[in-house]
Amino acid sequence: MSKSIRKEIVVPQPREQVWRALTEPATLAEWMFPNNFEPRVGHRFTFRVPGNPAMNFDGLTVHCEVLQCDPPSDLAFSWAAGALADTRVSFQLQPIGEGTRVVLEHSGFDVTSPFGQQAFAGAAHGWTRMLGQLSAAVQKLVGV
Amino acid sequence: MLDLLGSSERSVSDIATHFDMSRPAVSQHLRILLDASLVAEARHGRERRYRLQPAQLAPVRDWLAQYDRFWDDRLQKLQTVLAKGGGK
Repeated sequence: MSKSIRKEIVVPQPREQVWRALTEPATLAEWMFPNNFEPRVGHRFTFRVPGNPAMNFDGLTVHCEVLQCDPPSDLAFSWAAGALADTRVSFQLQPIGEGTRVVLEHSGFDVTSPFGQQAFAGAAHGWTRMLGQLSAAVQKLVGV
Repeated sequence: MLDLLGSSERSVSDIATHFDMSRPAVSQHLRILLDASLVAEARHGRERRYRLQPAQLAPVRDWLAQYDRFWDDRLQKLQTVLAKGGGK
């Protein structure tokens, strides 16, 4: 019993450019967070989400492992943060005219097992609150 | 299964007809959902029936909603980075 999030955007840039924006750590950091990503299967890396003392948010580390890396079309990594474990994030890049369709899927939000019985009742609430603060912190950070 | 239990209270055999699962498998699945307090059990004579505890699902829904917004933000930012020539 697993739920997932799926999103699609179409951008005018070619796949190769989008692929680099996904896999070059410095460019990846521009739209995600500071990271030590490397484009090879099995590489473990983290996203370091900065804290925001003004919002009482201590920051957060997302633990990931590259699961698939097939340039310039498929990238997938595991995603574990806080009480959320064993989810999977994947990007699929499809050529569309001169541009690229980017399909994002974040899957494995299991209603029962990964939360664990206690995590489900307690930590899920805490994490929800934290992620809300995260969104706000990020918006401040990037000046959106 | 949660969608099914959300619409009305159902017995194990009733639930089993909706899935390609044996009755024991359905019972085992229900046990997990009961342990997680996602469903409640009530006795009606000799039969047990199960129904959804919607309040318990709220954290998962919130979580999904938060990540949904999170990825909207990230993808929007990716578009901005690409438009500036990021990855070229």
